[in-house]
Amino acid sequence: MSVAVGNILEVRNLQTQFNTLDGVVRAVDGVSFDLARGETLGIVGESGCGKSVTALSILRLIPPETGRIAAGSIKFEGEELTTLGEEAMKRLRGHRISMIFQEPMTSLNPVLTVGTQIAENVVRHMAVPWRAARERAFEMLDLVRIADARRRLDEYPHQLSGGMRQRVMIAMALSCDPQVLIADEPTTALDVTIQAQILQLMLELKEKTGTAIVLITHDLGVVAETTERVVVMYAGRKVEEAPVEALFDEPLHPYTRGLMRAIPRLDVEADAAGTRPRLQEIPGLVPRLTQPIPGCAFAPRCGFATGRCAVDPPPLIDAGAGHTVACWEVERVRASAP
Amino acid sequence: MTAYIVRRLFATLPVMAVVALFVFFLLRFAPGDPAAIIAGEDATAEAIAAVRAKLGLDRPMVEQFFVWILQLAQGDMGVSIFSNLAVTRLISQRVEPTVALTLSTLFVAVALAIPIGVVAAWKARKLVDRLVMGFAVLGFAMPGFVLAYILIYFFAVQWQLLPVQGYRPIGEGLWPFVECLILPSVALGVTYMALIARITRASMLEVLAQDYIRTANAKGLATDRVLLLHALKNAAVPIITVIGIGIALLISGVVITETVFNIPGLGRLTVDAVLKRDYPVVQGLILVFAAAKVLVNLIIDISYAFLDPRIRY
Repeated sequence: MSVAVGNILEVRNLQTQFNTLDGVVRAVDGVSFDLARGETLGIVGESGCGKSVTALSILRLIPPETGRIAAGSIKFEGEELTTLGEEAMKRLRGHRISMIFQEPMTSLNPVLTVGTQIAENVVRHMAVPWRAARERAFEMLDLVRIADARRRLDEYPHQLSGGMRQRVMIAMALSCDPQVLIADEPTTALDVTIQAQILQLMLELKEKTGTAIVLITHDLGVVAETTERVVVMYAGRKVEEAPVEALFDEPLHPYTRGLMRAIPRLDVEADAAGTRPRLQEIPGLVPRLTQPIPGCAFAPRCGFATGRCAVDPPPLIDAGAGHTVACWEVERVRASAP
Repeated sequence: MTAYIVRRLFATLPVMAVVALFVFFLLRFAPGDPAAIIAGEDATAEAIAAVRAKLGLDRPMVEQFFVWILQLAQGDMGVSIFSNLAVTRLISQRVEPTVALTLSTLFVAVALAIPIGVVAAWKARKLVDRLVMGFAVLGFAMPGFVLAYILIYFFAVQWQLLPVQGYRPIGEGLWPFVECLILPSVALGVTYMALIARITRASMLEVLAQDYIRTANAKGLATDRVLLLHALKNAAVPIITVIGIGIALLISGVVITETVFNIPGLGRLTVDAVLKRDYPVVQGLILVFAAAKVLVNLIIDISYAFLDPRIRY
């Protein structure tokens, strides 16, 4: 595969595995994607599809006691991260690649002030004295629109609401001007109104700083509103990738179609005409990842599946205009009503 | 915070009153008669009665109790039945060695246990962890007085590095003072250290699995900062609690250790007083121990607030 100019992050054939009592779990099983400078990429999938593990793998935060990156390559600005030394990796984390997590209620340290938690990141990576780092922490809190930022510096996380804590996480993650921000379900734990504010804030800050964002979510609505390109994951594999408009106009993987049918719709006209479709779930369950899956991981739940799907893993097929899909029956899927 | 401390200090008064009540009556109901001991083995019943009357032990128990309580309120713990010395004086003479031994034991135990526990948690399930925790189980299982004799045999008798026993007040110089305390502190402290190390490891392991530790690692912070600031500060509350409980254990451990090492402290005074049924001395000592325990608890409760900003009074 040719190395595109302007890609800040290139993930190739990433395989991350965990040792469990039931055997080796292939949480991420050969995922590849690129992230361009300043781009917003969405990674979508249901719980357990490996999207969070992909994120943690990029930062090499997989707990070494249980998990490991078994194969593949992660290149950040051309530098291979899977073999980088731990000290060099630490200088990268929070500085050039930073991450925000799903649970703002538990992701901040309860016994340290907000100011300390932001400033320590700055001191660590920017080689500035503590006083300057505190000033930077104040600027960042102001930037994420926390009112009365000067006073908030000396407050503890329990004194802040969930939305404010997530703003603090964003302030912390962006305090050293990273090139890549990985946001793992950043709004899932928040109220819907707060969700919109946080997403808006992330996009605005992205415009200001030029940070590329990897947004991990199970929420197609969030993807539609915020990302430029989407990777759909299922059972540790990438099943489809497309620019966001193309994905919503013409989803090509049966799984992606299933996800979209599972979104509640509130069409007023359809409602009035009595034609609002019944919400459809995807039949069956996510496969267990302790056994190698020979064919397409989605085949047992797929209405289009044929004999071949159960035995041969489908390759990624180029459907044109940056749209790729891993499905043997893509022509039949395309021909059917979405 | 000051208001809280004052309130807590007042709240100790009922606790101390109940302790006083129990101490007084338990001693009176325990078998043994100080008058008979003083009068001697061959004394007649009349002689014993005379001694009893002289000590005021023939009066009703309730009256004895109130006499004692009124004296206490004036800071007077009474007079030893045997030595005729004021109990306050007896105790204050013996306080220094015991306080020195307790503090040095505490220091030895905590200074070793916390780093051991932190390293064990950091390297959980690896060789270092298994070695350190195996050592901790051994330390916990070994009675202090057994270890004391082993230590004395090697360090004092074989290698002659440290004195076999005894105590030198701090007024006689720092090294003689420290030299005498090393072996007793280690002997007394090993059990205690094992306990704190285990709790430190368990508490740290729990904290290291928390989301905010992942956040700290995602910031690329140095390992020591993650362990010693982000994790240990969160793990501290259970550790401090066990240190507090341990101080109660130390008080009983001190009695044996002082005997083995011939240290003239409160532990020896207690044993002697109990054996002779010297009521005023035993009462005074138990009150002093109880007050120390209550004070330690108070200090620990206050320290929680400094460690965890979510705890407010």
